[in-house]
Formats: sequence, structure tokens, C-alpha cells
Amino acid sequence: MTDREKQQNHPGAGDITQDGGHRVFRLAAVVKCWNGAHGFELTVPDLVIQKGEKVALVGFSGCGKSTLLDLLAMILRPDSAAEFTFRAGQDASLDVTGAWKQKNIDGLAHARMRHIGYVLQTGGLLPFLRVQDNIALSCWGLGLPEKAAVESVAEKLGIGRHLKKFPGQLSVGERQRVAIARAMAHEPSVVIADEPTASLDPINAEEIMALFTELAEEKSVTLVVATHEWERVTALDFRPVTFDLKQDTGSGSVRAVVSG
Amino acid sequence: MHGFKTIIRLSLRDYFHERLLSACAVMGLAAILAPLLILFGVKSGIINTMVDRLVKDPRNLEISPIGSGRYGQKWFATMAGFSEVLFVIPQTRSIASSMILSRKGSDRTHTLAVDLIPTDKGDPLLEKWARVPAENAEVVLSASAARKIKVVAGQTIMGRVGRSVKGVKEQVTIALKVVAVLPLAAFSRDAAFIRLTLLEATEDYRDGFGSVLFGWPGKKRLPGLRQYPGFRLYARSIYDLIALRDRLLAQGLEVYTRAEQIEVVQRLDRSFSLIFRLIAIVAVCGYLASMASNVLAGVNRKRRHLGVIRLIGFSTSSIVWFPVVQSVATSILGTALAAGLYGISALVINRLFARYLAAGEYVCRLSALHLAAALFVTLLLGIMAASYAAFRVTKIEPSTVIRDV
Repeated sequence: MTDREKQQNHPGAGDITQDGGHRVFRLAAVVKCWNGAHGFELTVPDLVIQKGEKVALVGFSGCGKSTLLDLLAMILRPDSAAEFTFRAGQDASLDVTGAWKQKNIDGLAHARMRHIGYVLQTGGLLPFLRVQDNIALSCWGLGLPEKAAVESVAEKLGIGRHLKKFPGQLSVGERQRVAIARAMAHEPSVVIADEPTASLDPINAEEIMALFTELAEEKSVTLVVATHEWERVTALDFRPVTFDLKQDTGSGSVRAVVSG
Repeated sequence: MHGFKTIIRLSLRDYFHERLLSACAVMGLAAILAPLLILFGVKSGIINTMVDRLVKDPRNLEISPIGSGRYGQKWFATMAGFSEVLFVIPQTRSIASSMILSRKGSDRTHTLAVDLIPTDKGDPLLEKWARVPAENAEVVLSASAARKIKVVAGQTIMGRVGRSVKGVKEQVTIALKVVAVLPLAAFSRDAAFIRLTLLEATEDYRDGFGSVLFGWPGKKRLPGLRQYPGFRLYARSIYDLIALRDRLLAQGLEVYTRAEQIEVVQRLDRSFSLIFRLIAIVAVCGYLASMASNVLAGVNRKRRHLGVIRLIGFSTSSIVWFPVVQSVATSILGTALAAGLYGISALVINRLFARYLAAGEYVCRLSALHLAAALFVTLLLGIMAASYAAFRVTKIEPSTVIRDV
């Protein structure tokens, strides 16, 4: 990238949208390849996620949803990118590609801790911490007071009575609520969720997804959710992002192109 | 900084959560360390007691001449100036240095011939076991001499010195106050310790001279420098003893010391230390290997949790401390447990041998410094054992482990 291009990526006119909000993620020509017996290549030609948006990455398993989530969460290094910036709150926008190139892993980690919450498909809770401490993790890491934040978010998700328990004592659904609470307790700008309700029964799934969305709207958090349940997210007014899969008949490798 | 603190907190919570495994690691360390502490305690206890006994007993610091020589005032002055010398005093001719002591009992008078031994302020034998006579008419008796004439400290006895002048037998007497009695352990022969002034006067009297000081009749001794056939000499320490012995040997003097016994103890100490070191090296290698595999297995088992911690956004530089903190906890708890086990064992061992020991003597003994050194070494080994696991933690990619089930 030339210096001029870099300058363009920094906060300025480019980041501010017409309606006064700003772009949280801007990705242009981002590519991630997986080598191996069946190669896989994910290409994101152009993806912009605005502040406060609710975005659903919709597709079958293996379509590249998780890869894109990990790229957005800055835990996966893109192989190439014309542009990949992240901007949260009042901070200057972060040149994610540049940080990866400079091996500034801790810089990316700090941005993640401060601005991003991540909900995994199953738990991902630390079994040796009580529910309240699992929820408080990011607050601890950031040195923020955690008590009120934990109690308020736990109350909203209906797990107030489980705070003293260990994750092992909870049902799958309750654990998923705790995972959502942990992703939101430190007031991040973005919450990324990977199939957050896929391991739940339909009734629980619906209830938890509704609560999650409601909470995100209330806190005006940008929500990026990967899911295969198209109906549920359209009903909740998510903007769908889809994956077009093409198999190369010669090599057998799969190319996925993101659009939306 | 918050990240670092949080990782310490998480590491300790995990350590406590897996308390059964942690307790096993702690006991594993104690099982290696406690026998080492006991072994080292016994080694240092026995050697220290032996050395202490050698050092504390002034007789081990004594250098005695073999045969008689001629030592002038100047020689004594030079000897007294050496830093290795604790105490030196001239000894008169052995044939002249004796006295008949007597005490009137209720039914009969007890008499006994004793050796006269010169003493003065600074005499380590008397200062350790009794007290030094301050006056010329005071005496310290050996245990056997006191027993034979049935006298205790504080009583007065009569001392008699005889001579024969031109076939006529003469004798003088002097009243002597017994100020102390040496225990049997300190001196075994029948002897009376007196000031050099009195000893010289008795020698002069036997030679036919008189003494103005004690009012004994006889020729006037011509003034001049005295020559002494022997001496009582004490080194300052067991190390000085060997140096002093070599110094006297270099002067051409034949002397007797107990240096060989001291050297035996020193050799014993060295052999014990070597054996201890060999055992300790084997134990350290074993501990390092088992601890390293333990910590590494823990990190591999917790890959997903560590990945989640990284996913939340803790930095590499703080997350490396996760296994190290646990290893340090094991080191501290394991050393504490080992020290406790050692303490109980030491108590039992010292009780068992109590009847062979004087007050303040131990068969098993470690100083606080030894225990602190043990803790330091264990901490160092713990950190070393955790370092590879810590390196592996930095290589955990959240994206590859967070979806493992």
C-alpha cells in the first residue's frame, strides 16, 4: 500500500456516511485461502458494515462464514487485502492489514478487547470461573468496574440467579445466555456471534436470539451474526450477507465470494 | 497491566478449580524435596554438631610441645603477637611443678599430690568450664583432685612444697582458696591451676631460692631472664590451629595437636556434600522433566480455554504467564509442604537422638537460609519447567482452537 492509499484509510471523509453514522468495517478485495486436499478460497470484494447495523452472514456450513467472522474479529490474518479497516467509537480507524503485516498482534488484541464481543456456537466459557467472573472477563482486562455492568446485563438475559454458579452447572441454553452477557458486559461497539443458537432447541433459540437482538439494539451495538437460519434473521430485520460458492472442476477447490 | 493482573487471577482460579491435580503436583514436588531436605538436614546437623564439639572444646585448640625446650620471654611475646594465637603462657619444669594439697576433714586429713598448671586471664579452658584465679592464693582444681581431697568451690585448702637443702628436708605451706572445680570432661588428671607467679615461686623454692612475696626463706634469686621448658598454647579456631601448627613445625618444634581429628571431620563433610550433590542432581533432573511434561500437558489440555482468553483480547505478553503462575504456585506450596514434612521428621530424629546430644546440639538441622535457598531453587526450576509450555501458549491461534469441542 502506498502512503497516499494509507491516508485515505484514516478517519476522514471516507469513513463518514451520508446519514452521519460511520463505517465500522470496510473491506475491499480481502482474500483468505485455505490450502489442503480440498482448497478453499474466500473473497470479499466489497463489504461495509455501518455503525449500529445488524448483519447476518447466511449460508450452509463450510461456506466461509466462520472464516469471515474470524477475519472481522481480527484473529485470522487475511492473505491479501486492498483495504481492511476497523473503526469503533471515537478512536482513529485501525488499519487491520497493516497491523497484521507489522505483526502488531497485541494491538489487534487490544482493539478486540476494547471494542468487540464474540459469542461462540457452544459456550466457550471458562469452566474454572463462576458465571459472574466469566461475564466480567473483559472488564477485568480493561480495568473497568464490573459489578454493576455484570448484574445489569445478566438481569436482562435472565441469568441473574446463576451468577454464583460455574458453567458446568448450567444448561446449554443458560450457558449461551452467559456467553452473550460476556460479549456485551464491557459495552463493545461490535458483537460478533458464530451460530449463537445452533445448538439450542427451536423455542430456546428463538427466545435467546430475540433477547440478544433486543439488547444489541438497546445498546446500539453493531451486530454481526453467522447463521444458517435465514428465516429467523430476516424476521429480526438483519441485513443478509451471502456466500456464492463455485467449485473448480479441475482441482476440486471451492471459491466463495461474499456479497451483500 | 490489567491484562497481566487478570491472567494471574485466571491462572490461580484455574489452579484452584483443578485442585485435585494441583495437589498431586504439589505432593509430587514435596515427595522429591522433603527427603532431600531431611538428608541435607541430617548431613549439616551431624557435621555441625561434630564441628561445634570440636570448636567449642578448647582442648581441640591446644598445641602442646613434645619434649622440653628453652623458651624465653621474647619467644612468648612473639607468639602472643600472632593473630592465630588465642592464649599462651609459659610452663615450668614438670618435675618442679607439683604440690601436695591437704584438707582437714572431720575424721582425718586428706592429702593429694597434684600437677601445677599455670593459668591467667584468657585461658580458654578455665574460661569455658570454670573461672580464672584472680589472686595468687586462689586455685582451680580438676574434678578428680577435688573429689580425692573432698573439697568444693569456696573452701580453703593447704598447699605444701618441699625441698631438700644439703640433705635437710624443708617445706613451706600456703593457704589456697578453691575458687572453682573443673568438670571431669574438661580435665582428667589430678591438677591445680594457679597463677604463674605462684608456680614460679614454687619452682624457685625447690631450686633453693626464697620468695619475698610469699615469705618463703632461701637464697635470693639472681635477676635475669627466665627460660621455660614448655608452654600452654591455644589457637583461636580450628583453622588457625592448622596454620599455627605448621608455623611451629617450621620453627623446628615438635608439637602435638588434634588437627587430624578436625581434618577427619572436614573430609567427612566433603564426602557427605558430594553424595548429597549427586542425589540432588538426579532429583533436580527428574523433577524438571516431570514438571515440564506436567505443565505442557496442562497447556495442551486447556488449548481451547487459552484460545478463548486470547479471543477476548488478552495480549501475548500477559497470557504467557498463565502456566508460569501455576508452576510458581506449585513451587511455593510444594516447598512449604516439604518444609513441613522436613520439620516433623527433624523433630522425630532429634528426639530419637536426644540422649546423645547436649543442649543446642542437633542431628538434623537446617537454617532458615537453607530453606530459603530451597524455595529459590524450586522457583527457578518451576519457571524453567514452565517456560516451554509458556512458549507454546504464545503459538495458540484462537481461530484454530475456539471451535474445538
